[in-house]
Formats: sequence, C-alpha cells, structure tokens
Amino acid sequence: MKRIVMGLMVALAIVVFVPGTMVAAGAKTVTVWYWDVNFNGYSMKQAAAVYNKTHPDVTIDIVEIPQGIDNKIEAGLQAGGSGLPDIALFQDFIIEKFVQNYPGIFVDLKAAGVDYSKFAQYKVGPMTDKGKIYGIPFDTGSTGFWLRTDFLKQAGLNPDNYQKNLTWKQITDLGVTVKAKTGKPLIAYDSTNIDFVRIMVQSAGAQFFKKDGSLDLRTPAMKQALTTLKDLNDKGLVYVTEGWNNWISAFNNGDTAGFLQALWIIGTLKSKPDNAGKWMVIPTPLLSGVPGAQNASNNGGSSWYVFSGSKNKDIAVDFLKSTWASTAPDALEFYNTILKGAGAMGTYLPSRNGSNYTAKDEFFYKNQAVYADFAKWMEKVPVMMYTPNYVAMTTAVQNANLLMLKGELKTVDDVIAHAEQEYKQTTGQ
Amino acid sequence: MNKKGSYYRYLNRIGWLYVTPAMALYCVFMLYPILSSLYLVTRKWKGFSNTFYGIGNFIRMGQDSVFWKALGNNFLFMAIQIPIMVGLALILAVILNQGIRKFRGTLRVIYFLPCVTSLVAYSVLFRILMQTNGLFNNMMLNAHLIAQPIGWLNDPFWAKATIIIALTWRWTGYNMVFFLVGLQSIDTEIFEAAEVDGASKWRQLISITLPLLVPVLLFSMVTSTSGTMQLFDEPNILTNQGGPANATMSAALYIYRQAFVLNSDFGYATALSYVIVVISGIFAFIQIRLLGGKDK
Repeated sequence: MKRIVMGLMVALAIVVFVPGTMVAAGAKTVTVWYWDVNFNGYSMKQAAAVYNKTHPDVTIDIVEIPQGIDNKIEAGLQAGGSGLPDIALFQDFIIEKFVQNYPGIFVDLKAAGVDYSKFAQYKVGPMTDKGKIYGIPFDTGSTGFWLRTDFLKQAGLNPDNYQKNLTWKQITDLGVTVKAKTGKPLIAYDSTNIDFVRIMVQSAGAQFFKKDGSLDLRTPAMKQALTTLKDLNDKGLVYVTEGWNNWISAFNNGDTAGFLQALWIIGTLKSKPDNAGKWMVIPTPLLSGVPGAQNASNNGGSSWYVFSGSKNKDIAVDFLKSTWASTAPDALEFYNTILKGAGAMGTYLPSRNGSNYTAKDEFFYKNQAVYADFAKWMEKVPVMMYTPNYVAMTTAVQNANLLMLKGELKTVDDVIAHAEQEYKQTTGQ
Repeated sequence: MNKKGSYYRYLNRIGWLYVTPAMALYCVFMLYPILSSLYLVTRKWKGFSNTFYGIGNFIRMGQDSVFWKALGNNFLFMAIQIPIMVGLALILAVILNQGIRKFRGTLRVIYFLPCVTSLVAYSVLFRILMQTNGLFNNMMLNAHLIAQPIGWLNDPFWAKATIIIALTWRWTGYNMVFFLVGLQSIDTEIFEAAEVDGASKWRQLISITLPLLVPVLLFSMVTSTSGTMQLFDEPNILTNQGGPANATMSAALYIYRQAFVLNSDFGYATALSYVIVVISGIFAFIQIRLLGGKDK
C-alpha cells in the first residue's frame, strides 16, 4: 500500500513538471503578437475595434512580446510550430529570412484576395517570394533630415532657405557654419545600428546584395555614403553615441543640431515639450553623383503576417483584409485615427486623404504639416532587398563604420574590405 | 541472509524510485540535448531544412576570426578580472573578519547585494552610468580628472575595461562571503600558537591563512573561470552585443548570435559550443591539479 502511495506521488511529481497542453482557446479567438504598446499595439487595438463592430463574436487577443519576438517565433518554428500566434508583426528587414528559411509558414495573402496595387510598392517587395505575397504592409519609415531651427538662427542662417531638396554637400556646408557659430555638431550618429548609411544607400535605389543574394558593398552608392560620412566626421560634425537611448538624448537635449531618421521619431521628439517650435524636417539629402539618387528614403517599418499553421487563419485573414486592406470608410478612418493617436503612418495608399494627413502640427517650426511631407516623400522610396543575411551585413558594416569614425580604418576601401571580411566570417559565405 | 538480501533489494527499489524524477529531468534536459548535439554538429542548418555538412562546421570555425577574437576576449577577461576580483575579495574578507567587527553584518549584506541583483538590471544601469554623457564621465570631468569624456562603451579598449569593472562590482562580494566563511572556519588556536612563536600578522596571513584557504580559493577560481567562459549578459546588454565593433564579444554571445540573430545556424553554433566545453573541461582539470595537488 505504501509503495502504491509513493508511486502515485512520484507520478504526480512528473505530471506537475510536464507543462499542461489543455489550455482551450475559444473557437473564434485570433491571437496577435507585436512589440511596442503605444505604436503597434495601439494601432492593432484600433483595427480590432473596427472589426468587432461587424464581428462581435470574434475575440482579437493582442499580446505584447516586448523583447526578442523573432527569437521566440524562431524557437516556436524549430519546435514544429507549437505555441505560435495566429498573426505576428515582423520587421520588413527580417522577413526575407523567415520566408526563405522557413518556406510555407505564412498564408499567401495575394491568393486570399488582397489588392497589393493599393500599397506602397517598396513595402510589398520584401514580402514577395516566387509570385506569392505574404504580409499586410503596416507603417512607413519615410525619412527626412531633422534640424533645430533655433541653432540655425543662432548661426545667422534662415531656416526657411533650407526647407527644400538639398544635397549632402549643402548639408555639410550648413553643418560647418552651425558648428563654427554654435559649437554644435550637426549629426547625432548611433554607432550600434546602420541607419545612417542605410538611409543614404536606399535613397539612391541601391542594394547591399546582388540578385543572387551575395554581398555587394562595392556600389557607387555605398562608396559615396561612406565618403560623405567620413567627410562629416573629419569636419567634426558627427556626434557618436553608443546606443538608442543615448542617441535620443543627444538630439533631444540639444547636443546636436540635427539627425537623419524616419517619421516615427516624431513621438520621441514630442516627449520633450520644451523643444516645441524648434524642430523642422527637410527631405532626405541627395547622394549626388550616384545614378538614381533621390531626395527620399526609408528606415524601418514592419508588416503583419498570418501563420499557415493557425487554426483560425481564415478569420485572421478576414480580419486583416477588412481593416488594414479595405477602402470601406471605417477602415480608412482607422488609418486616420492611428496617425493622430500613435503617429503611425500606414502604407495603404487610399488612406492618405484622411484629415490628419494634411493637418498642421503646432509642435514643429512654423506649424509644419510633417505628415503631408512624409506621405509625399514616401511615394518615391525605392524597393530594398534584404535577404536572410541582412542582420549579418548590418552588423559587419556598422562595426567597420565605427572603426572608421574612431580613425582606425583610414579609407573607404578599408572600411568596405573590413565589413566584407567580417560578413564572410560570420556567415561562412 | 536471504531475508537481508530481499531487504536490500527493497531498499534498492525505493532508492531508484526516489531518483526517478531527477533522472527523468536529467535525461530530458541534459542527456537528450547532449546526444542530439552530436547530430546537430554535422549539419548545415537553414531554417526548416538542413543538410549533411560533415566536419564543415569545424573547418568554417577555423577561418572565423570573429569567434577566435571572442574567445580571446574571454581569456583576457579571465586573466585580468579574476585576479583583481579574488584579490579584492580576499582583502575585504580579511578586513571584515579582523578589523571591523561592529558593522560586519551590514557590510556583508552590502558587499553581497550586487550578485543577487538581476543581470539585466545591473547591465542596463551600468550602461546608463557609463555612456558618453553619463554619470561616470560627468563626475570625472567635473573633478578635472579627465579633459575629454572617456568612451567607456564606444572605445574598444575602454569597453573591455567597462566589462571588467562591471564583473568585479558584481562578483567580488559573492567570493568574499566564501572567503569569510573560510576564514571563520580556521581554528583560532593556530593563530594563538603563531602569536606565541612571535609571528607577525603579515606572516600569519601568508603562512597560515592563505594555505588554509586554498580549498575555498580553488572553489572560487573554478567557479569564476567557468562563469567567465559563459560570459553573456554583460557584453550583450552593457556593451550592446559585444560592441564596439566586437571588442567585447564573448564566445557564448557569439554562439547565441549565430543561432538566433545572424544565420539561424544551429549546427555551426553547436560546433562552437563544443570548443567551450573542451576548454572549460581543460581549465577545471588544470586548476584542480595545480591547487589541489599540494594537499595530497
């Protein structure tokens, strides 16, 4: 008898350690994974509210994964798809890795009837593979050059003269004047990402990879971008920071006169109300001398994807289609709402007529209608190819760039060679 | 006799029953991963698909200077940080044991606290303190100790120093507690006898305290060495993924990045982790031989 009791206890102990798999999900629950409550989370909640008006029986369960969402999903995929949500948000630059390394994990939304001609084409490129299109494009990372007009005025310059398409040469000259008069470097540069050089390269419609996926850093755009960065640095116009928060405080605290970044930084700028009326944004400077260069580029942005292993994928697809990809008045108003509420600008072209798109913004210098400008620039953004090795490439390039800024690599060719070597070693290709 | 035999068989069975849960967990979480790593290491991994690669991962490793640099960083941190930390811990322990008796409990808690704080929290905190416009630099600038802010996180040399400082801050108190216990377990009669023989305090420290602390010293060195071999959170968070430009990349962080960040290459990551296992094994062996040998 004792032994039976003991056996039962051991069995109980084992059962306790085995995670329960009995969590019953409601028949009509769609689970969404995302990061960033105030931006992505807010937007998805608005979409869910719109959908629930016509489909009150569907529960949209919006779950924040604050850190490492890609790793969590990849671990789930390696484990045969267990524990994954129905819908997840992916950065545009990471999606090619998932589409190519994990074929068939996403629902082909083109086949499901989404009209992709209504989305900004540069968003559709990375999510397309072998004629199938997998995602619902979300926000744009349309970029501009941000300037502190008060520093310009201190340097005896009229900000209004700079609110137009400029070249990097003109921006450098502007920086030299501002630095001489105010002592402020022109650019806050975060050494832990590749944003600055990436924005420049994409503005010329150039790529970091060849069509076959092999690395291609020896392009005119890359060389010109690095030359420009080196020139800015040699003139003392680059303020190097070592991480995102440090970078933000550099321009929010007035350590620099400007920076290069996408429109989603607006929320961060507004978190410092003291700076109201001081900032303006001008088009991304032109990488002159490079064929195909334009005064527009993109940085960041993400899109929604439905897992093909999802039990409720039909509902999930219907939900995305009827909110994020619909010309119904409710859906268009939803885009207008998230622009105002979260500063999130969608890439669904019919939505651009919303009232908030043209609204003037009191936070900016002379009430600049920043969203109208970014929406205009967004049209010109060229398609970028990311490939599964994008992160290895950005790591190698950002490391080489830092060594250049620190003076350890002297020429642009050295920088490219260093990046190529690190890429080759870390990818084994 | 027969009766006794069946009694032992009974005991045996009960014994096995007791260890069954532990054995089950061991098999699932240790044995299975170790065995499956033998398979993983021969594959070239890419998402769902993987192909046979033989010893290709090891050949690739030979050409991967980022990995060897990372491993070199592990050794560098070991060679510099562990002696500093063990020395400091020893000094603190001796002082606490002899000098300051009044606040011993309080001080012990203060020194021990860092190692129970979360790795992530303290890494983030150090990151904020040591950024270019952070507290460290501002204090030293105001005191006119330095003319230019130091690139604690930005400069390849100073970033290494940052990691060493952070590790020392975190683990000195932890090791100190072991030394303190070791010191308290030494019989005071030995010291009294030495006193009678006219040995100075210094002599006592060198000839009595240290030799008797050898087992504790050994334990502390072995755990610190294996801890430094597994260094991960500090370079990942404090210096942002082994930055600047891989200057503080550690082997464990690089393995993680190979598996989850760069290429999803679990085969290559497994091959790299084999190197760590071998090195850790060699280290433990050497240390036990070197320090433990004298006793035998």
